[in-house]
Amino acid sequence: MSLLRMIGVGALLHTKQLSRSPFEIATALIVPVVQATLAVHLFRAGGEPGRLLEAAVGAGLMGVWSSVLFGSGGAIQNQRWQGTLEMLMLAPRPPALVIFPITLSTAVTGTYAMLATLLWGRLLYGVPLTFAHPLLFLVAAPGCVLGLGMFGLLLASTFVLMRNANALANTLEYPIWLVSGMLVPLTVLPGWTGPIAAALPTTWGARAVHEAASGGPVWPSLGICLAISLGCLASGALMMTYVERRARAAATLALA
Amino acid sequence: MALFRLIGTGGVIAYRALFNWTTPAMFIGSLLVGPIFQLLFFAYLGRQLGVADDRFYIVGNAVLAASLSCVFGGTMAVANERRFGTLGHVLLSPRSRTAVFLGRVLPYAGNGLLIAVSTLTVGALLLGLRVPPEALPALLATLAVAALSCGFFGLTLGALGLRFRDVWVVSNVSVALLLLLTGVNVPAAELPGWMRAVGEGMPITHAAGAARRLVAGEGFAAAAPALAAEAAVGLGYALLAALLLRVFEAESRRRASLDTM
Repeated sequence: MSLLRMIGVGALLHTKQLSRSPFEIATALIVPVVQATLAVHLFRAGGEPGRLLEAAVGAGLMGVWSSVLFGSGGAIQNQRWQGTLEMLMLAPRPPALVIFPITLSTAVTGTYAMLATLLWGRLLYGVPLTFAHPLLFLVAAPGCVLGLGMFGLLLASTFVLMRNANALANTLEYPIWLVSGMLVPLTVLPGWTGPIAAALPTTWGARAVHEAASGGPVWPSLGICLAISLGCLASGALMMTYVERRARAAATLALA
Repeated sequence: MALFRLIGTGGVIAYRALFNWTTPAMFIGSLLVGPIFQLLFFAYLGRQLGVADDRFYIVGNAVLAASLSCVFGGTMAVANERRFGTLGHVLLSPRSRTAVFLGRVLPYAGNGLLIAVSTLTVGALLLGLRVPPEALPALLATLAVAALSCGFFGLTLGALGLRFRDVWVVSNVSVALLLLLTGVNVPAAELPGWMRAVGEGMPITHAAGAARRLVAGEGFAAAAPALAAEAAVGLGYALLAALLLRVFEAESRRRASLDTM
């Protein structure tokens, strides 16, 4: 129970902190809305006005991923810049447990993107928010966010080894959008991308949310997303412990 | 001659200083590979929706590829001086700060040109686009003008960094707006009139049109008006950047807000 409380309180604290940042808010709200507008016009131009909800949901998922990618990628570096990394690492808990709430909060902040794109689509373009499984959507979206938060820990632990993780994060934004089928259906991609897509929690999370919106079996996709994400969480925890010990031994924790 | 030396050498030194965070692997991954995936994303989406053919997306996104490094580079040219605490030293210089800052765009534009050429080449090879060989010199000139135009646009945003603290928000949103408003990914005819009008005043829009004409084999004469329009847009942003830099510099001295973070 204390473990869950720690994760919950930590995620809430970091979400509050992120919610005070004009940069985070603007990025999480405005950029996905621009992308949603782009998607809506593309779907209209393609003669697919019936799929506008799919476009809005897809753009929202893209925003969640961007938030996780840049937030988790920069999680350690940001703590380092703020001078709080040493204190986090001195906490009497495994480092992964201290960092996980940060990556979870970046995913929670990313849900602004989903809400913003849905509201934008509804208010400006009259996109009907008629979900095939409305209640399941309310389960699938947070489930996807939780999964991406767990995936974020693996990213954070990997990126900590790199001096400028944010620059690398730029490279990973479009490939994951593409291969996970957030906006582009996987069926139009080359066959060799299939195994890569199947291994990514983002693919299954996006599928679960799309199925909740447009119809389909939500639970299997959501289950696979969470299972892969748990694997990522375990791998990320191991990596984080290794990195922390190495940084302590080499006395490089505070070095940018 | 001294002015050109200030612009050229000063630009290169500032580029090396303000772009010091990158490594070759980071440069290739972030600036060369990233835009290729962006191109593929929109090409596959366009294919699936039947909006336009691959040529439309390859050429458009290749021109757009210059924007990321140029817009952020132009912003960095001013904003990172403040972040690194060296802005005061630059503004104390007895030489023309307008020339100093305008010169900084040149290396970033060169960078953007390299990225655009690389994206066009890889995109054409991956998706099977044939570019007429006779169109290549004019196409290179078009990409260069687009890169310069984006660089001056970025410098205009960077000038805002003398006045506003969160200038990176403006840069991020601007780069996203370039995706939407320049007709690179959504054909301009499909956009509402006001979006088209805004797009006309943004970098990339006219260059993408010129590049598409060149790749279609219509020749330089057909592309020249759009190329001239892109050059005019770039010049407009250069003048605007110079004006804003002077105004905000004077104001930051008056209000003693130069190093406010």
